[in-house]
Amino acid sequence: MSSPTWDEFAELALKRIVASGAEYGDIRIQDSRTQHIEGEDRRIASIRDAKDIGFGVRVLYHGAWGFAASSVLSLEEVPRVADLAVEIAKGSASIALEKVRLAEEPIHRDRVITPCRINPFTVPLEKKSDLLLSAMEAMHRQTGIVRSSASLWARRDTKVFVSTEGSRIEWDLLTGQGECTATALHEGRFASRSFGTPHLRKGYELIEEADLLREGSRVATQAIEKVEAPVVDAGAFDLVLDPEHLSLTIHESCGHPSELDRALGYEANYAGTSFLTPEKLGSFRYGSRHVNLVADNTEQETLAATGYDDDGVACQQWDIIRHGIFVGYCTNREVAPKIGESRSRGSNRADGWGSVPIVRIANIGLEPGTATVDQLIADVKRGIYIEGHGSYSIDQRRYNFQFGGDAFWLIENGRRIHMLRDVIYHGVTPEFWNSCDGVADRSTRRRYGFITCGKGQPGQSGWMTHAASSARFRRVEVIRGEGHR
Amino acid sequence: MMLHGDQWPNMTSREEFRFLSELVLTRSSADHTMIRVHDRHAGTTRFANNQVIQNVDGRCGNVAVTVSFGGRQGTASTTDFTAGAIQETLSRAERIAKITPVDPEYLPPPGPCSFPARDTAKPETMTAGAPRRLEYANEAIGQCRMENLMAAGTVSSSTAVVGVAANTGLFGYERRGEASFSLTVQAGEATGWSAATHRSINHLKVQERTLAAISQAKRSRDVCELPTGRYPVILEPAAVAGLWAWLIRSLDAKSYLKRTSAFAGRLEQAIVDRRITLQNSPDHVDLLGEGFSADGLPSTPSRWIDHGVLRQLAYDRFTAKQQGVTTIPTLEALELSLEGSPVDSIHDLVKQTERAILVTNFWYIRPVNLRDLMLTGMTRDGTFLVENGEIVSAVKNFRFHESPLDVFQHVDLWTAPMEAVNSETRKVLVPAVALPQFHFTSVTRF
Repeated sequence: MSSPTWDEFAELALKRIVASGAEYGDIRIQDSRTQHIEGEDRRIASIRDAKDIGFGVRVLYHGAWGFAASSVLSLEEVPRVADLAVEIAKGSASIALEKVRLAEEPIHRDRVITPCRINPFTVPLEKKSDLLLSAMEAMHRQTGIVRSSASLWARRDTKVFVSTEGSRIEWDLLTGQGECTATALHEGRFASRSFGTPHLRKGYELIEEADLLREGSRVATQAIEKVEAPVVDAGAFDLVLDPEHLSLTIHESCGHPSELDRALGYEANYAGTSFLTPEKLGSFRYGSRHVNLVADNTEQETLAATGYDDDGVACQQWDIIRHGIFVGYCTNREVAPKIGESRSRGSNRADGWGSVPIVRIANIGLEPGTATVDQLIADVKRGIYIEGHGSYSIDQRRYNFQFGGDAFWLIENGRRIHMLRDVIYHGVTPEFWNSCDGVADRSTRRRYGFITCGKGQPGQSGWMTHAASSARFRRVEVIRGEGHR
Repeated sequence: MMLHGDQWPNMTSREEFRFLSELVLTRSSADHTMIRVHDRHAGTTRFANNQVIQNVDGRCGNVAVTVSFGGRQGTASTTDFTAGAIQETLSRAERIAKITPVDPEYLPPPGPCSFPARDTAKPETMTAGAPRRLEYANEAIGQCRMENLMAAGTVSSSTAVVGVAANTGLFGYERRGEASFSLTVQAGEATGWSAATHRSINHLKVQERTLAAISQAKRSRDVCELPTGRYPVILEPAAVAGLWAWLIRSLDAKSYLKRTSAFAGRLEQAIVDRRITLQNSPDHVDLLGEGFSADGLPSTPSRWIDHGVLRQLAYDRFTAKQQGVTTIPTLEALELSLEGSPVDSIHDLVKQTERAILVTNFWYIRPVNLRDLMLTGMTRDGTFLVENGEIVSAVKNFRFHESPLDVFQHVDLWTAPMEAVNSETRKVLVPAVALPQFHFTSVTRF
């Protein structure tokens, strides 16, 4: 006897939901495979290959949600879990004050596949291990490097979503990434410098195009330069921020505050709320006229471009900030109607079969301007050029932030002079974005993905990409990131 | 309404784990084979704006197999417990191990060990289910609605089965349970907060904690702005735990030996106030002590900081062997205490303080500099000015820059250790403390 198909499991669950009298229900069945190779200090420390299969059933009963999930995919378990989701929804409904109303969405029947030239799971492990060992060796060739690490990561998700409304969407998605880090020691001080490919939805060609050996050698040289660099003097500096650095700034100070569930108080107990409250929509000056932040869940290869979200809503492109004014939120089918929007923006995503989907930041990117990076730097008398991610922290309404970076260069009279260390800058979100007076052109635009964006209770890891060209910010408060000892 | 309760799902029993592990160990062709099972059933009722927004329940089993051939190792895992999937997982681990480079730090799995039997699974937590979680959520919401305030929070309970076995004779199996409650009360712009985690769902004290968060939210309504600078502070236990979490995460022995640690060269030296002791107390009834670690090592009572002196580092098995460390200390049930006379309560700390900032909790603590453990973060959900033994006003939230290695050089006053749970640390027992100086570097808008 052949095993039941995923469609048969889905049909079984949906029948139970419909019979219960629930107004809506869906099932997601997902099979994920993740391979992670980690190198540390010239050795392959671990190779892990994980398979994760299961399903989650979501039910809306009398305007209240219930969700149940299981890693046991069987003819007995599917109806049991569907019934449990209904029972939980009934419990939620028993104390509901306001009924959930879902925004309308056309029925979709579709299949989404990541285009890929080289399937990372078919690349021999020996080849991957050799690459990491060589990259670490390249880093240790530099005198002063005391630690190294290098890793490769790949994931394939096959998934189906079927709803009581008649939608059926199937996915076969690939994602990959590679990175390396060198740590240098000098006079009892240590400093690290890293290179990472972006996390992108593409095959192993992502790694082959990146040249980890060359990048490993470069970051090792810069780690040594960084650890020997003079510490920054505190004060107001003009900052020129590279796309990788900006991806984190955008994520924390624009992405999270533009999640409508936060603005409505859903995350008040954990991730926090948002200063971008609904009455500000369409009028609040978030940044200067140079600041155009666009959500685009349709751009190929980016993490949130999955064709459809976990509400079964088609991915879209829309403005979050236009000419500096706050004009749009990230929404799902539940919260969109609460601000009078008739359709969800399609930003409802779960981190796996066992998690309920919640509003997630879209692929939000800073639109390119017209200058070159050299022109941005040329117009700086006293400033700092910052690359990469470092320390970061922001308050729960996303106003008061602080960022470091991975590498810093002093700019004097329009020229990059030398590296600095322990640079930290802080500010208040709208003031910072209003100090932006130039964005570089499309030629410098880069995309960086996030796969560990924490939100929700129980916590989930969200995936999204933030693209940017380099940008300049005037008179930002910089402090020394070192203690007193 | 009757939910499946303890009938669903059927967690992996000791006998089933023994069968599963013997199946894998007998079929493996590797020199060494280790199997780990983690089978978890958990549920959370989440509420915001005074109503349930999310109500979830799920079961996830995971079996991981690690094999090695001559120091080449590989790990494969699956959530599918069928015989075919387990066999395929073993084969996948073997394929990986055969082509992996030899790991110079490879060690065989630990041998047989008689693990301590700890009271890690309470029946009331195991059988709680969605109705009990909903009842607690409703209680918190009801209290807040009566006061015309908004509640946001969670009630969770979980049961997990953890098993570890190897062809060296190692075998461990344990049931673990945990329940938690957290609540943020909003009074307009002002907030109050409370949280608890316990092995027993009966110990969450939902009503008491809800009233505490309500009181704090009300007190936070009239907020004033103070300038940045150095202030004496009173840190409640959650705030203390947030600072110590980063200190504890930095105790890694490998980094210590490679001199890429804030502690480099400071083992057996005083690193904080001589009255401070940090210990792992896995037998403490209010902590979450376990029988064994994921490596298959017994969880042990141990002193990490003894009267201010750093006595212990966190060893991986290879580094421990290299350094001649025979018993690897564990860190899952931490208790921080001060020698001397504690005051009775946070209220008494306030009463004995002339002027200070009282901090309920910190948020988004991150290292600014790992060399000296300088951290940054924000105050959250209750920041107050204390003058002449009384809370005189709520104050706008601050950002801080401090190293726990600096600020805990001297503690003025302290309580006995109390429960501390925050968004980024597991449960620990720590005192509330009064510190002479704390550096607040910026002020936010609320």
